Amino acid sequence: MNQETTTKEYSAESIKVLEGLKAVRKRPAMYIGDVGKRGLHHLVYEVVDNSIDEAMAGHCTKITILFNDDGSVTVEDNGRGIPVGQHKIEKKPAVEVVMTMLHAGGKFDKDSYKVSGGLHGVGVSVVNALSQWLWVEIKREGKIYKQDYKTGVTQNKLKEVGKTKKTGTKVCFFPDDTIFKTTQFEYDIIADRLRELAYLNRGLEIVLKDIRNGEDKVESFKFKGGLSDFVKFLDEHNNPLHNKVVTVNKEEGTVPVDVALRYSNTYTENILTFVNNINTIEGGTHLSGFRSALTRAMNNHATKNNLIKAKKSEKINLSGEDFREGLTAILSVKVSEPQFEGQTKTKLGNGEVKGFVDKIVYEGILDFLEENPSVGRRIIEKALLAARSRSAARKARELIRRKSALGGSSLPGKLADCSNKDPVFCEIYLVEGDSAGGSAKQGRDRRTQAILPLRGKVINSEKARIDKLLSNNEIQAMITALGAGFGGSDEDGGERAAGDFDIGKLRYHKVIIMTDADVDGSHIRTLLLTFFFRRMPELIHNGHLFLALPPLYRIYQSKKESYVYDDNERDLTIERMRKENKTVKIGVQRYKGLGEMNPEQLWDTTMDPEKRTLLEITIDDAARAAETFQNLMGHDVEARRTFIEQNAKFVVNLDI
Amino acid sequence: MTDFVNRDNTIPRDIIEEMRESYLNYSMSVIVSRALPDVRDGLKPVHRRILYGMSEIGSQWNRPYKKSARIVGDVMGKYHPHGDSSVYDALVRMAQDFSMRYELVDGQGNFGSVDGDNAAAMRYTESRMTKLSGEMLKDLEKNTVDWLPNFDETLKEPSVLPSVIPALLINGSEGIAVGMATKIPPHNLIEIINGLVELINDTNTTADELMKHIKGPDFPTAGLILGMDGLKQAYETGRGKIKMRARAHIENSKSGKGSIVVTELPYQVNKSNLVEKIADLVRNKKIVGISDLRDESDKDGIRVVIETKRDAVPEVILNQLYKHTQLQDTFGIILLALVNGVPKVMSLKEALERFIDFRHDVVVRRTKFELEEAEARAHILEGLKIALDNIDDVIVIIRSSKDATHAKEGLMNFNEALKESWYVIKRSGAQFIISYGSRKANSPRFFNSSSSIGIPFSLRIFCSSHPRSPGKRT
Repeated sequence: MNQETTTKEYSAESIKVLEGLKAVRKRPAMYIGDVGKRGLHHLVYEVVDNSIDEAMAGHCTKITILFNDDGSVTVEDNGRGIPVGQHKIEKKPAVEVVMTMLHAGGKFDKDSYKVSGGLHGVGVSVVNALSQWLWVEIKREGKIYKQDYKTGVTQNKLKEVGKTKKTGTKVCFFPDDTIFKTTQFEYDIIADRLRELAYLNRGLEIVLKDIRNGEDKVESFKFKGGLSDFVKFLDEHNNPLHNKVVTVNKEEGTVPVDVALRYSNTYTENILTFVNNINTIEGGTHLSGFRSALTRAMNNHATKNNLIKAKKSEKINLSGEDFREGLTAILSVKVSEPQFEGQTKTKLGNGEVKGFVDKIVYEGILDFLEENPSVGRRIIEKALLAARSRSAARKARELIRRKSALGGSSLPGKLADCSNKDPVFCEIYLVEGDSAGGSAKQGRDRRTQAILPLRGKVINSEKARIDKLLSNNEIQAMITALGAGFGGSDEDGGERAAGDFDIGKLRYHKVIIMTDADVDGSHIRTLLLTFFFRRMPELIHNGHLFLALPPLYRIYQSKKESYVYDDNERDLTIERMRKENKTVKIGVQRYKGLGEMNPEQLWDTTMDPEKRTLLEITIDDAARAAETFQNLMGHDVEARRTFIEQNAKFVVNLDI
Repeated sequence: MTDFVNRDNTIPRDIIEEMRESYLNYSMSVIVSRALPDVRDGLKPVHRRILYGMSEIGSQWNRPYKKSARIVGDVMGKYHPHGDSSVYDALVRMAQDFSMRYELVDGQGNFGSVDGDNAAAMRYTESRMTKLSGEMLKDLEKNTVDWLPNFDETLKEPSVLPSVIPALLINGSEGIAVGMATKIPPHNLIEIINGLVELINDTNTTADELMKHIKGPDFPTAGLILGMDGLKQAYETGRGKIKMRARAHIENSKSGKGSIVVTELPYQVNKSNLVEKIADLVRNKKIVGISDLRDESDKDGIRVVIETKRDAVPEVILNQLYKHTQLQDTFGIILLALVNGVPKVMSLKEALERFIDFRHDVVVRRTKFELEEAEARAHILEGLKIALDNIDDVIVIIRSSKDATHAKEGLMNFNEALKESWYVIKRSGAQFIISYGSRKANSPRFFNSSSSIGIPFSLRIFCSSHPRSPGKRT
């Protein structure tokens, strides 16, 4: 176990204290995002991340996560164990420092841990602070130590409770229900993240056990193939273009780069990037390096082997976009001191990484294609097809622009625009149907609220090819209304074409989907989300996409009325009204369509910024999201049926 | 990790959750209450609502036609909160003799044609139920099926029709839901009923034995079916493909030129598209040897004439037409229907069994209902008999009572006072005497001494009343 992979001894000396543990309980959202489901699950990740760091340093081979029957979670690893020696400055055992002080840990100098994923968080002390109780058990130097805490406060001195030959750390905690809205951990969410971690750390075994409610579920994640297994997993519902996964695995300038990629017969790209096991949703320098290397390598391979066969009249220029159609790729790099930027701190900023990644990927892909010429041929063929359709799409796009040039104003006729021109204050409502569009137009605040009615079911962006998508009227209207272009989520890859999506040109900072509260409204919502997820993902990443929340019922008693948003609230309201006035009959109106409301009612309940509630669409896990879209909206009917069969019992709102 | 700007009125919503939930709501709703028929009455909700709506506004087969717009409006407003076109299109299809083997709606006016012409707008056409659909609603009032509240919970609608006829198989069905689809061909009513009888007599009947009665689909457009393998597979497993072919013969003119005459089309083939397709093939020289092509269809039926050139062999050309056009078409059977609200692919036998089970259920419920009615009626008659036997006492009791309530109490105490077991004027019996009498007397002050004339009158009525006469109580 005690391999000498790191340069310096990891002991009490290497623990440094940057700040005291305060205010975590007061403002938990600052540390873990929110106090909802996401924040709750973040606690588990935080503890697991520590164990993963041990694994990345080469000291840990197995991590076990256990959902206990009492609602607590135990995380155990067979790493070196947190140091128990006396900390020089704090005069406490090092483990106590780690558990009770914010920003304490072995990761702030490069010596004990070469790379670490825990940097983004604030460490296990936050978990401790937000737990009703927590105990830690450390096996180290032949002995077992244990210490208990309550809401982050030490309950006893570090005790020696036994002897052992093993090493490792075991943390068991019970989340504080006075802080979290829910303390129910969801198996699937944790399982998905653990699976991802197991893929990213080849050979590491992660076991998830659930013994809650008398269940006895055990799942073990261990992938010898690492990333290439990950690609196969993401890709399993698509028809792969080639069986063998392209893999590159090298280290350059102390940056280990691990890549796996494969093409399938779909039209969308699905690139997941990780830095030190953190999903970098916004990409960054490593992604740009990867992209430019991919394009260069493929083009180089194509020219060298004379694979570009074009008709005489045709001028074909294979660009990066063409090589990314149908691509599923995972890029994982380990950077010792990562700098994160961007709105959500998930964009890698280290400039040097780009060059390293570029070099490794370029050479790696070229080598692979030389050895597997048939794979190369197929990929280039697919890219040629993509290039042809791209040029068709470009023509379609140009057509949109030309059309608008003739019309004078570039905005779609159906758009009722707002008078304010500052995007920060402007919002656009995408409304289902002309009937609701009328209400919304009359009920809005015309200074900041624009309305765009969409007719009928929008085209499915997951299935439709880009040129077809662009010739669709509703899609055209949306693109021109938003004004920020379309597709091509390139960042600094130097491939940005005119008309590509540019968040800076967005005309409204709130894009609000407002559909009826019936099942067809749900369907339109899924179709619109698919469009934005696939073609304007930055809109979502930057927090510009929202769902309006129209009321489900109006409850009235003579002249008193109130709007309620769910069934539970409805029953409570009826009860309250009945108590207040027993004699007058209570009426309940169920809103099926927005068109049922008067314009003023719509304003009062759904559109008035003072009163309304908006749901902000977020992407917590891009890989899972991509898979969800593929299953639900893609070509694979079987996957869809399986999903429906498995989840039929969870259906909330059935329209009969 | 996330830089959290907590705006006070926004709630974060994970895109995966939103997608899963919304998609599930939509897809499940489409599956269980839109695109798939129920195995029992063979109807999708919109059809069921139309038929029930028509019966509610008295548009039975023996009554005058009603404007389709009235029916559509009524159905839409009461039971089906969707677009008018979806309701009217469904209504129209039920009235088309080339779509339905047995029409469920009797349409007056232009209801479209095999050429794909649309029906006239609903403000022009008129409709009523057919005799057959009347059978589907028979005994509906006898508590034979469960009732559900409509969309705004102001009315009730039947969850299924107590159909006497096996509508799923005789009229077939077609629908695309999410992740699944159904395609059931129409059958001959008599054949299906023979199959049902066979199955009732012997529950171990095999698919082969059933196929002695049920020889295959019976398409409203007639035509031919080629090969039995696909059909047999479909009947045994619920899935299979059959080939349908148009009926065509060759006529030779005196000049020696042959012509192919098509008189029956495969099911759901659009005639004008077919003719256009043949013309295309000729124009593109895919098929050579056709000199003229005429659609001679008229009031007497379909007649598409394809004249061949003198040197061409008509049979060969016909075979080419089978290959390249919809003169021969495939029908992929998927016998999928909702069983207890869950979609299920069934064999022919299972579909028949489900129908038998359902009918059994309906007959039991109907009989129970009729028994209860008869018992309730017997109850009243018994009470009346007692009253009649003690007519003098009854008159005294009623006269001395100050109002109906007292009279009722008096009558009920009356038998207790005598303590004779056969003097049973039960609650409902007493009530009946009172209400019957007071209704006939037609006066609110009936029990006041001044208007005592009502009593002998009412008694006379129920003296003469026989089991048949109490009529419907409201």
